Amino acid sequence: MGRYIIRRVFGFIPVLFAVALFTFILVRVIPGGPFDYAGEKALPPQVVANIEAKYHLDWPVTWQFVSYLFGDDVVEFLSAGKYQQPADGGSKGLIRGDFGPSLRYRGQSVTDIIKGTFPISFQLGLLAMIIGLSIGVPAGIIAALKQNSWLDYTATFIAVLGVSVPSMVLGPVLIWLFAVKLGWLPVATWGAKPPFILGLFPRDILSWKFWSHAIMPAIAMGTGMSASIARLTRASLLQVIREDYIRTARAKGLSERTVIAIHALKNSMIPVVTIMGPLFAAVVTGSLIIEQIFGINGMGRHFVQSVGNRDYPLLMGVTLVYTFLLLIANLMVDLTYAWLDPRIRYD
Amino acid sequence: MAVANLSAEDEEILSRRQRSLWRDSLARLMRNRLALISGAVVVLLVFVAIFADKMAPYDYATQDLDANNAVPSYLMWLMPKHAERYAKIDNSFLLGADYLGRDLLSRTLYGTRVSLSIAVVASLVSLTVGTIYGTISGYVGGKVDNLMMRLVDFLYGFPFLIVVILLQTYFKALARVGAEGGFAKVLLDWNAKMGGMLLLFIAIGLVNWIGMARLARGQVLSYKEKEFVEAARAVGASHTRIIFRHLIPNVMGPLIVAETLAIPGYIFTEAFLSFSGLGVDPPTPSWGIMISEGVQNLRTYPLQILVPAAALSITTLAFNFLGDGLRDAFDPRMAE
Amino acid sequence: MKKIAILVSLLIVAGLLLAACGQQAPQTVVVTQVVEKNGEQVVVTQVVEVTPTPPPEPVTLDINWGTEPPTADPGLATDTTSVAVAGQMFMGLTKFNPKTGEVEPWLATSWEASEGGAVYTFHLRKDVPWVKYNTATGEVEQVLDDNGNPRMVNAHDVEYAVKRTLDPATASDYAYVLYIIKNGQAFNTGADGVTADDVGVKALDDWTVQFTLESPAGFFPAIAGMWVVSPVPQWVIEAAGEKWTEPGTVVTNGPYVMTEWVHGSELNMKRNPYWPLWAANGGDIKGNIDVIHGVMITEESTAFALYENNELDTTGVPLGEMDRVKSDPELSKEYYNAPDLCTYYYGFVNNKPPFDDVRVRKAFAMAVDKQSLVDNVLKGGQTPADHFAPPGIFGAPDPGAFSKEMPFDPEKAKALLQEYLDEKGMTLDDFNALGITLMHNTSESHAKIAAAIQQMWKDNLGVDVKVENQEWKVYLDTIKKTTPLDEVPHIFRLGWCVDYPDENNWVYEVFNNTAGANRLRRGCVDATCTEVKPMKFDELTEQAKVEQDPEKRKELYYEAEHELAVTEAAYIPLYFYVINTVTKPWLQRDYPPLGAPNYWDWVIDWNAKKAATGG
Repeated sequence: MGRYIIRRVFGFIPVLFAVALFTFILVRVIPGGPFDYAGEKALPPQVVANIEAKYHLDWPVTWQFVSYLFGDDVVEFLSAGKYQQPADGGSKGLIRGDFGPSLRYRGQSVTDIIKGTFPISFQLGLLAMIIGLSIGVPAGIIAALKQNSWLDYTATFIAVLGVSVPSMVLGPVLIWLFAVKLGWLPVATWGAKPPFILGLFPRDILSWKFWSHAIMPAIAMGTGMSASIARLTRASLLQVIREDYIRTARAKGLSERTVIAIHALKNSMIPVVTIMGPLFAAVVTGSLIIEQIFGINGMGRHFVQSVGNRDYPLLMGVTLVYTFLLLIANLMVDLTYAWLDPRIRYD
Repeated sequence: MAVANLSAEDEEILSRRQRSLWRDSLARLMRNRLALISGAVVVLLVFVAIFADKMAPYDYATQDLDANNAVPSYLMWLMPKHAERYAKIDNSFLLGADYLGRDLLSRTLYGTRVSLSIAVVASLVSLTVGTIYGTISGYVGGKVDNLMMRLVDFLYGFPFLIVVILLQTYFKALARVGAEGGFAKVLLDWNAKMGGMLLLFIAIGLVNWIGMARLARGQVLSYKEKEFVEAARAVGASHTRIIFRHLIPNVMGPLIVAETLAIPGYIFTEAFLSFSGLGVDPPTPSWGIMISEGVQNLRTYPLQILVPAAALSITTLAFNFLGDGLRDAFDPRMAE
Repeated sequence: MKKIAILVSLLIVAGLLLAACGQQAPQTVVVTQVVEKNGEQVVVTQVVEVTPTPPPEPVTLDINWGTEPPTADPGLATDTTSVAVAGQMFMGLTKFNPKTGEVEPWLATSWEASEGGAVYTFHLRKDVPWVKYNTATGEVEQVLDDNGNPRMVNAHDVEYAVKRTLDPATASDYAYVLYIIKNGQAFNTGADGVTADDVGVKALDDWTVQFTLESPAGFFPAIAGMWVVSPVPQWVIEAAGEKWTEPGTVVTNGPYVMTEWVHGSELNMKRNPYWPLWAANGGDIKGNIDVIHGVMITEESTAFALYENNELDTTGVPLGEMDRVKSDPELSKEYYNAPDLCTYYYGFVNNKPPFDDVRVRKAFAMAVDKQSLVDNVLKGGQTPADHFAPPGIFGAPDPGAFSKEMPFDPEKAKALLQEYLDEKGMTLDDFNALGITLMHNTSESHAKIAAAIQQMWKDNLGVDVKVENQEWKVYLDTIKKTTPLDEVPHIFRLGWCVDYPDENNWVYEVFNNTAGANRLRRGCVDATCTEVKPMKFDELTEQAKVEQDPEKRKELYYEAEHELAVTEAAYIPLYFYVINTVTKPWLQRDYPPLGAPNYWDWVIDWNAKKAATGG
């Protein structure tokens, strides 16, 4: 098991490298550069040249990639001084934890931006996921156990309704109802700011300020999730219940509760867990729509905006963070399989 | 030794059993009223998609600027306070008009085309590719599984949005410049004929089969050491046979459910992309575009979001209940 | 289980106690006083109970910056948000009157131009100190010089700022605005032998700064008010590098000091008590806002909901809400549309057939019903445009000046197109087979306008125009003049907003076929305009740039505008922007048409705001 994990973690490196390389090339293939224009004004070529020189965009692309991975000093060394690192040392490179400067937000580094926005997306995503699981799984179980009863129909119907309301409709409706009409909750923004505990969690997690801001976006994000989870749980559990070993367990005279709790539930969670991996990576890196509607300063918006701004390092940064989280989450999923179903072995 | 091999007679018995299973399944499906109704709704939607041009009272692009945001008198009760002060009342539009005075009903009917074709194509692609890939990976196991899953990790490692945005940005730039010839040219020609939809399909399809593959693999891992697979293996069935006759039918249940659940996702993805200008080219109507537009004046003209959102929700409901029914019907262990 | 319950209740009680301590509870204090008693002075010590008076609440303005400002460095700012932020913290030499847009004294009290107008001398205020926000104490402090005296903003700071903006190492986008200064361009582009010392800016003494220009420019005082000229603290920039604009580090001289900048989420400011222009310090600026609390919400409808919930004092009105706002009994009173110095236009590619023929261009221009566009699609009370520079720009013709010559006239438009078709021996179908394309950058509002105008061309001319959109950066790449003719669309959309209120910034910088980007491809000798011939318009704008007599300049610009919009019909001016805003009744404000918003002049009726927000 230990060796398996180590092997998988080492396996991350080529994946991350491939994603970095692929993104690096792809963004540069798209027409348009980061500095051609200020607003709608075309900049004189000399001005563009000044800015590009500052960010080494005048270097050959291969050297830019080397600089991104290993740092400007390595480039200077390898190119025998042809491409020099700037006076302030320049980028230290990905392997030394430097994601480079943002091209759009002058004076901010990509690391700063991720440090400031990822924790907020993480908090929101985690809350949404908790909502999704804590409503979805029990609802799915109840629906499956009381199959074809009114409970099942109600749960299924609500679940289906949950899936069919897009968050870009649900969000504004929630704002209108709970903030504008009833005045119970603040309209928008997030209730926590840096510095964060462990770089992730809000300092005043018990405050009303935090929760009052978190409720609506978390619900808007979690509803659809809980609906999907509920239906998946129901389907999977229904299937497992009819398995031979469950019949055997029943035949042995075990109580229905024991059968369901010990045998059926665990096995029925496999499809749910499979979905959780990518879902986790996706929700904790932020949702553009939710962040936009609720004015939340999360990481989600940078996935779209960095492409629009041709902010190459920022796009690379958020992509790699996402990829890394996804790899971790998928490893967790695979490990959970082994726990849920002892017949699955890793060696 | 004949013991390990399946005799022709055994095969015959097995396949007869398979046939009767299908008959039973169909019979079960017919008994599920909700699923039947949903099935009828889906058929109706397909019908609307095909004959939208015959059914719509107006063309989807024709404007009547003076009737912008018109509301029919019998729907005024849906409007917010003080609406009588600003709303233009015009009963020539059955469900009202949008900000350019285009008929909402007609646009919604035409919108069925885009949303349905994206749903159908995207789910067919992702289901087929994903199931086969995932099943093989899970069944073969070992090094092959590892390699196949690394590839999936790599593809999945890309944020979905970035892939689609980059692809669409690139495709659109290419479409403008035009291709000299070859495959790219054929692709672009087709895309132009479909109002920019082909590239959208490709972008969505390129991303979604991966989730299905992981799900299928997870299922296969838990099934492949089950008695019936062991039994099939013991009687010497070929790998292909085990995969297609024994494993895939068994893992399909959760996959179909996941897929029906994913259909609204595809339709929403289209909405999101159209909203960011990376989807269907205007004035081609899609529910996604209509919802994005409607959200902007949700509180002033709620009708403009209600109509497409209702269409979307009905479609989603139908697909979900149908999916449920299918799952219940085709699960071989369903008989109580 | 029980233990936990006890623990929880203890915690609650503790919490309540703590909360109670936070209140303004009466305190017992020992007071020692010297009192005169029966003609004698006696020391009296007594224990009294007093309720401390809370410090007066700061008058807080709640606004939405709209987005994270890409920078707060005036030397690097290019967008409105960055300019708005920098404008609170740094004073330019001049500023624009928030009501009339005229150039007024700001950091400079007076200025004069030399004979011929190529040298400008500015005299600075001597009483503006550099200040800094102390993040530990929460107080604004003056920055002291080596002798322990408050450090004042002086002419050397201005000289440094100008040279810094032009320095290629600074890599400022807007450096080109200062190319009007002698050797500005040469220094910025790294021309041989040109150093910072050669740039035409010089501090004559501590309080006088002199600019030498490349050529006479009557509009230079307006440029001197731009953010790229604002003095910045050399010693801080050299010590802190790119991050010098973070609160606690940044040293500023304007009416407000940055106290907190949570990137992407909020940026807050506080009144600078040492600023000499406050009425309290003997100046004439009467604004009463102590604290600016600014969030960054991109989604307009969310910001509007915040406003309705009293969480913002003012905000823009989203297009979708316009009908409701204008008819709602309360919102309609809070609504105001102020002119914004921006113009929205459709450009023709003037050398791409069939738009190389003026009749076709005129036909397309006359077939657009701008009034209907404004009334039915835009709805914000915009002014239909018939030329480029909006009112308020020096030299701009009156709105409607050319509307007689270029009216909305479907009949005439059709006739003009027919004339062209007849001459070429084409039918309308032949014309439609050319695949006329209108392109805009991806955005819902551009799409709306394009869809409406597409229909007008269809109805009024019978022409099928294809509408395409591209993502912004790709789009800008597509419409530049070097794109091959068959790849560029026939018609494209763009807008232009003011940098400084003079026609030179408009017709000359945008459309002059050598000075501007020449996306209209006017006077091109070859398809991609590597060589251009100046046309009458280009000569007029060239002439007006250096003309000294204001009246003569106005005439030249009138003629130039007429040339471009009527004679050549090289583009379709569509409308002049407005800003649609709602403002709470307790806020008294201005709507400055250009530059940073003047928060320093705004006044809040604090009691009314508190009563309404229940605070």
